[in-house]
Amino acid sequence: MDIFTIAFWIIAIVLTVISFIKDKKKTFAAMKKSKGMMGNMLGEIVAIIFLIGLVLTFIPPETIKSVLGSANTFVSTVVSAFVGSITLIPAFVAFPLVGSLVDVGASIVPAVAFLTTLTMVGIVTFPLEKKEFGTKFALTRNALSFGFAIVIALTMGVIL
Amino acid sequence: MKAISIIKKNKLLIFVALAYLVVLFISPDKAMKSVGNSVYYLVEMLQVLPVIFLLTVVIEALIPKEIIMRGFGEKSGFKGNLLALLLGSISAGPIYAAFPISKTLLGKGASISNIVIIISSWAVIKVPMLANEAKFLGVNFMIIRWVLTVIAIFVMAYITGMIVKKKDLPVDSKRAATLEIKEDYCIGCGLCVKLLPEYYEMNNNKAVVLKMPEGKETILAIKESVEKCPSKAIILNKEEIAS
Repeated sequence: MDIFTIAFWIIAIVLTVISFIKDKKKTFAAMKKSKGMMGNMLGEIVAIIFLIGLVLTFIPPETIKSVLGSANTFVSTVVSAFVGSITLIPAFVAFPLVGSLVDVGASIVPAVAFLTTLTMVGIVTFPLEKKEFGTKFALTRNALSFGFAIVIALTMGVIL
Repeated sequence: MKAISIIKKNKLLIFVALAYLVVLFISPDKAMKSVGNSVYYLVEMLQVLPVIFLLTVVIEALIPKEIIMRGFGEKSGFKGNLLALLLGSISAGPIYAAFPISKTLLGKGASISNIVIIISSWAVIKVPMLANEAKFLGVNFMIIRWVLTVIAIFVMAYITGMIVKKKDLPVDSKRAATLEIKEDYCIGCGLCVKLLPEYYEMNNNKAVVLKMPEGKETILAIKESVEKCPSKAIILNKEEIAS
C-alpha cells in the first residue's frame, strides 16, 4: 500500500470514530444507506475489473499506445469526450478502467476528457434535465461541460 | 420473474463471465493471464473500497446539509457559490439525483449560477471518489484535475448565468396540464359543468375545477370547454401538454 492510500485510510478511520462518538444512531443509519449503494455497484465493479484483465491480455499495449497514445491527441481526446458523454458507467469503476489504460501507455489527455464528460455531460439524462430546467438551460450546461472537459484535458496534458 | 431481474441487474457480470468461459475454452493460457491481470486491479480496488465507504458514511452523518442549503439565496454572492460547490461535492449519487434538490433550491431563490455549480460539482467532484482517483491515476493527477475542474465549474456557472435567465426555466414542474377557472370572470352559466361534469362543479354560482386533466382525449374535450366558455374564464396551461 502506498503512502497516500495509507493516509486516506487514517483520515477515514479517524473521521468515522469521531462520527460514532458524536452521533451513533445517525452513523449507523448512514452506514446502512452506503452499504445498500455499494452493494448495488459491487457486481459492476467486479465485472469491469475482470473486463480490464481481458482487454489487457488481448489488446497489446503497443496498440493501446498507438491509438490512445500521443499520435493524434486532439482527435482521440474529442472522441474520448464523446464516448464519455454517451456512456453510462459509474465514475467509481471508471477510475480503475482509465488507470489501467494509462498504465499501459495511453495518453492522459483523452483519459481526462473521458473521465470528465462521463460524469458531467449526460446525453442519456438530457431529456430529464430538459424537463426540469428547460431546453436552454440543459443545452447550455451540457455544451459548456463538453467544451470545458476538452479544455481541462488539454491543460492537464500541458501541466503533467 | 426473480431470475430475470437478477440477470438484468448483473448483465455485465454475466457477459464477462461468458467471455471468460469462451476464452478458457479456446486458449486457457490467455484466460489465466487475464485473471492474473484482473487480480492486480482487484487487490488495488479492495484497498480503497473501504475508505470510500467510510468517507461516504462520515459525510452523510456529520455534515448538516440543511444548514448549507439555507445559505444561498439571490444575493448570496461568492459565499453562496462556495456553499453550492460544497453541497455538490459532499452529495452522493449520480447526476440526475441532483435535479430534484436543485429544483427545490431554485424555488427557494437559488440563482441559476449556483444551480449549475451544484449539478456540475455533484457530477464530477466527489470527496470519497478522490481517494479512488488518487489510487488509480496518481495524487498529482487527482489534485490538478480537481483544481482545473473547480475553475471550469465557476466559469461555466458564470456563463450560464449570463445566457439563461429565470424566465427560461419551466415554471411548473407538474407533468400534467394545469386547468384553472378565473373566479372573477366566471358568470356562473354552468355550461362547462354540463359539458364535463367530471371536471367541473358549481360552487356558490361559480364554476370550480374538480381535478387536473390527464390523457390526450380528455385534454381535447377540455379545450372544447375552454373555447365554449362565454366569458373565457377557463384557462388551460398548454405548455405542459407539448412535453
